[in-house]
Amino acid sequence: MADAGRLPEGRLPPGPTCRVDFSRPLAFTFLGRPMTGFAGDTVASALYAAGVRVFSRSLKYHRPRGLYSMDGESSNTFMAIDGVPNECAETTALRAGMSVAAQNVRGDPRTDRFAFIDRFDRLMPAGFYYRLFHRPYRLWPLFQNGLRRMAGTGVLDPRRNYHRDGVRAERHLNAEVAVVGGGAAGMSAALAAAESGLRVCLFERRPWLGGHLAWRVRDFEGEPLHHRAGALAARVRATGNVRVFTSSPVTGVWGDNLVTGFTIGARDDPFRECHWECRAGTVVVASGCMDRPLVFNHNDRPGVMQAGTAWRLARMYAVRPGGAAVFSVGDDMSLEAAVDLADLGVEVRGVADAREAGRQDPGLVASLAERDIPVLSGWAASRAMGRRRVKACELRPLRGGGSRRFRCDLLVANGGMQPRIGVLATVKAKLAYCADTHSYQPEELPEGVFVAGSMTGLRDPRSIEASGRLAGHRAAVSCRGGAATTAVDAASAVRRDAGSAADGLPGPVSGCDIRHGPALGRGAKAFVDLDEDGTYKNVVESAAQGFDVPELAKRFGGFGLGPGQYRVTGQNLAMIMADLRGDPVETATPTTVRPPLVPPSLATLAGPGHDVHKRTPLHGELAGWGAVFRRAGEWERARYFSEDHSCRDEILNVRRNVGILDSSPLGKFRIHGPDALKALQRVYVSDMREARPGRCKYSAMCNDMGQLVDDGLVVGEGDHDYYFTTSSGRAGSTVEWFRYHTRHDGWDYNLVNLTDVLGSVNVAGPNARRVLERVTTDDVSNEAFPYLGCRHITVGDGVGARCLRLGFVGELSFELHVPSSYCRYVWALLVEAGADFGIQPFGLEAQYCLRAEKGHVIIGAESEARVTLTDIGMGWLWDREDTVSKKVGAPALRACENQPGRMKLVGFRVDERSGSLRDGAVVVGRAERGVGGMAGDGEIAGYVCTTRRSDVLGWQYGMALVHEGVAVHGGRLLIRQEELPGRPESCTATVVPPPFYDPEGTKLRS
Amino acid sequence: MALASAAVNWLKLRRLWRPSPLKRRYDTVIIGGGVHGLATAYYLARNHGIRDVAVLESHYIGFGGSGRNTAIVRANQRTAENVRLYDEGLKLWRVLTDELDFNLMFFNCGSLLLGHSEASTGAFRMAASTHNFMGVHSELLDPQQCAEVIPGLDISDRPRFPIQAGLYHPPGGIVRHDAVVWGLAKGAAARGVHIHQGCDVRGIKTDAGRVTGVRTSLGDIGCNRLGIMAGGYSTAIAAILGIELPIHPLTIQAMVTHPLKPFLHHVFSSTAYHVYANQTLKGEIATGAHMDPQVNYTTDATAYYLKHQAEALVELMPALRGVRFMRIWAGLADMTPDMAPIMEGNLGWDGLYLDAGWGYFGFKSGPVAGKYMAEYMATGERPEMLKAFQLKRFLENRYSGETPAVMKYGHWD
Repeated sequence: MADAGRLPEGRLPPGPTCRVDFSRPLAFTFLGRPMTGFAGDTVASALYAAGVRVFSRSLKYHRPRGLYSMDGESSNTFMAIDGVPNECAETTALRAGMSVAAQNVRGDPRTDRFAFIDRFDRLMPAGFYYRLFHRPYRLWPLFQNGLRRMAGTGVLDPRRNYHRDGVRAERHLNAEVAVVGGGAAGMSAALAAAESGLRVCLFERRPWLGGHLAWRVRDFEGEPLHHRAGALAARVRATGNVRVFTSSPVTGVWGDNLVTGFTIGARDDPFRECHWECRAGTVVVASGCMDRPLVFNHNDRPGVMQAGTAWRLARMYAVRPGGAAVFSVGDDMSLEAAVDLADLGVEVRGVADAREAGRQDPGLVASLAERDIPVLSGWAASRAMGRRRVKACELRPLRGGGSRRFRCDLLVANGGMQPRIGVLATVKAKLAYCADTHSYQPEELPEGVFVAGSMTGLRDPRSIEASGRLAGHRAAVSCRGGAATTAVDAASAVRRDAGSAADGLPGPVSGCDIRHGPALGRGAKAFVDLDEDGTYKNVVESAAQGFDVPELAKRFGGFGLGPGQYRVTGQNLAMIMADLRGDPVETATPTTVRPPLVPPSLATLAGPGHDVHKRTPLHGELAGWGAVFRRAGEWERARYFSEDHSCRDEILNVRRNVGILDSSPLGKFRIHGPDALKALQRVYVSDMREARPGRCKYSAMCNDMGQLVDDGLVVGEGDHDYYFTTSSGRAGSTVEWFRYHTRHDGWDYNLVNLTDVLGSVNVAGPNARRVLERVTTDDVSNEAFPYLGCRHITVGDGVGARCLRLGFVGELSFELHVPSSYCRYVWALLVEAGADFGIQPFGLEAQYCLRAEKGHVIIGAESEARVTLTDIGMGWLWDREDTVSKKVGAPALRACENQPGRMKLVGFRVDERSGSLRDGAVVVGRAERGVGGMAGDGEIAGYVCTTRRSDVLGWQYGMALVHEGVAVHGGRLLIRQEELPGRPESCTATVVPPPFYDPEGTKLRS
Repeated sequence: MALASAAVNWLKLRRLWRPSPLKRRYDTVIIGGGVHGLATAYYLARNHGIRDVAVLESHYIGFGGSGRNTAIVRANQRTAENVRLYDEGLKLWRVLTDELDFNLMFFNCGSLLLGHSEASTGAFRMAASTHNFMGVHSELLDPQQCAEVIPGLDISDRPRFPIQAGLYHPPGGIVRHDAVVWGLAKGAAARGVHIHQGCDVRGIKTDAGRVTGVRTSLGDIGCNRLGIMAGGYSTAIAAILGIELPIHPLTIQAMVTHPLKPFLHHVFSSTAYHVYANQTLKGEIATGAHMDPQVNYTTDATAYYLKHQAEALVELMPALRGVRFMRIWAGLADMTPDMAPIMEGNLGWDGLYLDAGWGYFGFKSGPVAGKYMAEYMATGERPEMLKAFQLKRFLENRYSGETPAVMKYGHWD
């Protein structure tokens, strides 16, 4: 042990439970001032040791706030650490070089310039902003901006990238049993569950195991309590099938026992923070207790803190929590803390215990008496004195009577202990107020969830451990993963442990039901919620305005909506509200607990950011040609091959020479079996008997509303055997679509998705055949291989390709479907063969324009929810005579066929050389006269789906969905686009039937 | 003077709405104490003098979607009939703040919708052209302009879906959703409407083709007119009468981060990332996304959603890596196949009215829907504004064009 004379300032001699290493100092700065902490410190413990008492200013009143908890229960100690806002100083491990700053402060936190607001609380009753600032309304924006500036705590720079130096990782764990909480109960549960050979994951938010036993030095059964915790921890760590995760807060337990959380990396971990998800069979909840905050006048003064905080400061961080302390508490563990702090040299001047005399542990009362510490039973703190920090306090009897004052710089206050119910609430355990422990306890637990430890009201270490063992065994039995024999073993262990638990071990101890300290008010604030400055008076005010149940008061007054959430506020608000309503406290329901139970950063949740997407087999080739890639659904596709996004050269090369397109994402399927044709007849609108070997049948699929959902080609491959293509976006849902629409028929067919198995390369342009002839010896002449034909050909050194002769882009075009692994070879062959003919790749945008010139529809571009197949001019595909196949969409098509007032797809030619018209302009009626004096109908009559200026045609064409009244061939549309208000651009266009390019179709048949 | 009297007034704390005795009969009963039901009751009393109205709420007012949404209001819809409705709705926040003498905290911050594909640019141009033609302010922005409106957006090509266009809509903003519920309750109650919380509707009584009352957990209540305005639960209530609605109840989740000083001064949303976010007046980033794909009535939050949201937000605005999620919750949305609502009167039974199927849009439409539903219920005549939202459009395959794509939920349809 270090010599007391050489102890750093503010520190105690390190005891056996100390986690701080005085041999490893860490330099950091607070508000630019250099400070020193030690390895093992949190930012808060280092600051406190350095004498910092005011950590921040409160949200509304700008009151000074100090260290209250050690587990991040409130935003009192939220600070900007290395520029990252709202970092919790209590739970953030100190690192060398950290730069720490206070939040919500103008100037120094001790002398904040907005501190005067505290005096105007009378003008700010609960919900005041709803009743103020709106008259006259024109002033509201001023007030609103003022409110915005006052609200919020941390400062985020939107232009900064908060990578927070370091790797974010992600882990997916599996365990039969997950244990939440690494205290004595949790460790006992993990050991018991592990006895059955099951995989157990144990999650503990603090950096060490042991819970409150980890810092308690009191003798129990002949050894200090922390030895007991240490022994358990050693056993847990030595058990192979228990995986221990410390510094790993659980953010929630979700449906089907999915436990999530994150692990804060230690110095030698390869990550800074790691998000994990653990799919567990069963869950043991042993999350322990925390101090229930005591509501009394000025209970937020720096120097007022939880018993656990003062105790841990002293025992785990060797920080002197204060020179002279007063306790106002309500449970035995806090009395033990008083004794212990006194032994560590803190002068404990008095202990008020809200419980009546005789309910305390006599041994502790005797210990206090031995140290001449007065114990006032049935008393509680009524006031903390001192403006910026506690200088004295006033205690009063709860039943009325005179007060006593004590000078002190530390006021340890609680209303006893409350269980940490977060996990239980998120698993939807039914919680009810227990009038004995005065806490919320599970009335019913969901299947596969077990609870153990001090949260059930147990305090005796043996009981806590026994409850853990019992829960662990039960979890193992209940676990689906448990083998039958181990389940039997575990079941007998349950009986054994249940027997021993009943064997004279102490049960839950009675709790403390104090609602608030005596003599509230008198010009002082008593906080129910620290984060949002919600006082007892505000609760009364909320109730007076009709918000008299916790859930409404929470929303109206903001109780429990701040970073501490329900933890500080929940139980007190429910109890106080029940009193205000005059209801028995048993009826008090706390507000809903919402995950995440501990706030995870977005950086950690987002993790390493895996981008799962697909690339075609030709990605490298396309990149080599300078492709600009875009995500299209799950695929990454080449959209352009130059920075000219009009793709003029790509388009012209297809029209004049020959282009090559990687069309691999195209959906590709084989369907075979006796009922394959029936299935095709069901989902396609055409008569699919026309899909014969060697012949492509073009058709479309509709949904029940007659809307176009897919189109493609179907080719006969043999008896009851077909090959077909779908649009890229539909490839993933096609099998399900077939199965769904034939689910009642019991048909016998097999459907295989070949999309990723086969790649496809499209060669299109007047020179396409010449290119193909150079790579195959098969006859690809127009006679042998006509338009819409399909042939199996051999290319290059014997690669078999299914070759489809298509016309989507309006030119002579061959599409080669080959196994993905041969794609690069075939591409290289074609590019080499096409070199003499000017072959160049073209991308999706060029394809989009080429097909639009041809009037071919793309789903989603020229179709939408308001139009059916017939509305977009594709009704010719529909075999209306077929009444036996029950074609999907046929009833809707029939019903809508002659329905008046529908929108229709039309082609148009822009009248002038108006270069500005683009996709999305709206049709506002018929143009009665020229552009000079336009007159629309005053209503939106439709919109332009696609429009381009064509270098081949020499004019601007387009397709629009318009109401049928204006869909008249030869009629003129008044089109308007107004990208900015008051800047309309208009033009007129004449309705002309597509296709605009090669209307006779001679090119694609050549 | 106005300020002085306001100052005196606000120190007097009165109940916003008084508990009322439960009568056995009302002229009009409305099921659902959310924005739609309360607004309808308010306008029935205010505009049509129908004060014998009860609003029945099974939990507490605002328990459902009204208190669970992300409070975004806007009028930049896709089609004319929707733009018209939401535009009027947007103008009501200010009017209602005044009428109700209750600050609804309308923060007129404007919204920016981000597009990530060439197709979205066209869609935005169509929307902007439609809006401006109808007198609703919208602007088509390029990525650079998007970053000028919202500093911190990543307009580089690093994100998996780079930003390609923005649809900026200055009239939009956010409203304090609870305040709307409470303000409407205050206004309705002041005009004689009875609000009954904790009143669970279990049956609907009819006689000779008319609605005659409801059975509730607090006993039977007679009525001449009945409005079903229960958000996600409307389908189940209509089903009591055998009315099958093309509405899927779906869970939708939302969450907030720790509070921060103001740095995000607009609502932003993204098509490709399925995310929308704004900074509340209290400083939290409130954010939500798509609905869960499974049809269900639960309001369970999921771990997946939290993670999805983080992944999306940090790509759009990398600075958000530095904030933490504080709370996630879920609510029910009532989704129609065309993302437009169903507003009906005398639906199979005389006196039966329905206002449901709002999906994502239930909050921002509340007051304006209430205004027209009140007119419908008072006169029995369908207002012109509501003609586009009839149930029969689904039977006639005349979908509203509110969503370009066809919505798919649950089974295929």
